[in-house]
Amino acid sequence: MRKLILGLAIPVALVWVGSALAVVGYAGPRYWNPGDEAGSSWQSSWSYNAFNKPSSGYDSTVTFIDNVSYGWHATVRNRDMVTYTNWWSSQGTVKKGHCKAHSGGHWGGCYVN
Amino acid sequence: MSTRHAVVVAAVVVVAASVLVTAVVGAGFDWSRSSDELNAALAEGEPTQVAQIAAADGLPARGVYAQLTPTGHFCLSDAPLDNPNMGGGGCNAADDPLGGKNLSVSLAYDAGPGLDAVRDARLIGLAIRGVSSVRVLMTDASWRTVKLKNAKLGAGLFKAFGYRFRRSDLKRGIGPAAVVAFDASGAEIARQATGIG
Repeated sequence: MRKLILGLAIPVALVWVGSALAVVGYAGPRYWNPGDEAGSSWQSSWSYNAFNKPSSGYDSTVTFIDNVSYGWHATVRNRDMVTYTNWWSSQGTVKKGHCKAHSGGHWGGCYVN
Repeated sequence: MSTRHAVVVAAVVVVAASVLVTAVVGAGFDWSRSSDELNAALAEGEPTQVAQIAAADGLPARGVYAQLTPTGHFCLSDAPLDNPNMGGGGCNAADDPLGGKNLSVSLAYDAGPGLDAVRDARLIGLAIRGVSSVRVLMTDASWRTVKLKNAKLGAGLFKAFGYRFRRSDLKRGIGPAAVVAFDASGAEIARQATGIG
């Protein structure tokens, strides 16, 4: 019985841990209009922020915003299929991922990890 | 039902629920699923340096890195020389690194969003082999010349570049308005507006 429970519990734990470590979507997938923007929740652990689109050609920005100065960090703007950034801030810095569709008129989603 | 059977049934229900939740989340994260893989590829891959951003104004040199990922992307990033995986940039389909254009450019900056508050602004990009020069049109209508470097990426030959904007320009509110590529005759063959200015 103990083996059976362990055999079931371990996969469940792995599934949940895997979900917790995964990239988290904070906006979309949805249709983006010009000027649309979105922000993730505030976390100190975020370091990766990406705006994924089905094709290239759409002007987009990703950045991190800290919760003290509200300044932007590691901002990247381009027209690529995936616009991404990494920000390895000092430990404990609370920030949120932020993404913006400048041109809009496309589908896409924003993700942090 | 015996206690043993009840435990087994409960465990099976929990497993099924977990799988279902993951599947539902996964379905909602259709893009995220590929983002997971891309995130891992960018974090663990070994990008190749194709150009360099010179040190200036007390800021260290950085590299321009290219990477083909198992997800089928070609990614170009701007990252510290001692940690090529810590950068940011953009990815296109591996069989179309320039996204169907003659020129593909990424603008990166720290601080802001106002131009006068930006501490470090950089440009990286890739152009088709036939490009002879790339220049940046600034918001005051002046030009900055970008140094090109030949880059062999897979079967393709490209021109790669990296450029750091002068702090004196940024302090005066002068930023990049567009990046323009020219052929050997001086004719403009590609232009990408930055959205600034």
